[in-house]
Amino acid sequence: MAGKLSIIMYSGTADKFIPLGVLAQAAAATNMQVRVFVTGFALLGFTKQHNELPFPEEFKSFAPMLMEGMKRTNTKPWFDMLSEAKTLGDVKVYVCSLMASVMNIKKEDMDPIVDDIVGAASFLSDAEGGQTLFI
Amino acid sequence: MGDKIVIDARGSSCPGPIVELAKAYRNSKVGDTLELWATDAGVRADVQAWAQKTKNQIDSITEQEGKIVVVIKILNR
Repeated sequence: MAGKLSIIMYSGTADKFIPLGVLAQAAAATNMQVRVFVTGFALLGFTKQHNELPFPEEFKSFAPMLMEGMKRTNTKPWFDMLSEAKTLGDVKVYVCSLMASVMNIKKEDMDPIVDDIVGAASFLSDAEGGQTLFI
Repeated sequence: MGDKIVIDARGSSCPGPIVELAKAYRNSKVGDTLELWATDAGVRADVQAWAQKTKNQIDSITEQEGKIVVVIKILNR
């Protein structure tokens, strides 16, 4: 393994999920271990029903341009990028146990891309010694 | 003598070319040469980071009419 990337996904807006997909893929492609810790409203993007994530109010008018640009540049949706990252290397998606119980979202309500439900201490211990991003 | 494998990632944006490279790398062996074709400008710096991380060698990076060609020697699997 060539290093370790830990990403804390907190924001639940659609724009923030693009760097999740891009960085997870790039890290997996360069042999890095990737751990994603899903908490906050980001959890809404990981349920089985695949909630449509909103854009932040101040960038809403740019959303159609962004979506059109992603199509034009063959940029895949974040979920496809993260799924592909999982096929490339050691990539795990963990959901925060506190947020899951606060939102009353159970393991069976989550998309199978989620590997496990863990606590903050276990995530921090996994992340130790690597790079950590808070998105 | 290794094989030469061409990876056509033209039209794919960051990090697409590196993902395609990583996929081809998985099926390669020491001694192979991978030739990556891309149009995304980020590939120049990205392949160097990739080679450093995976301990492989970039033989050349050339560009012709917007087509970037990276030749990678596989030293490590």
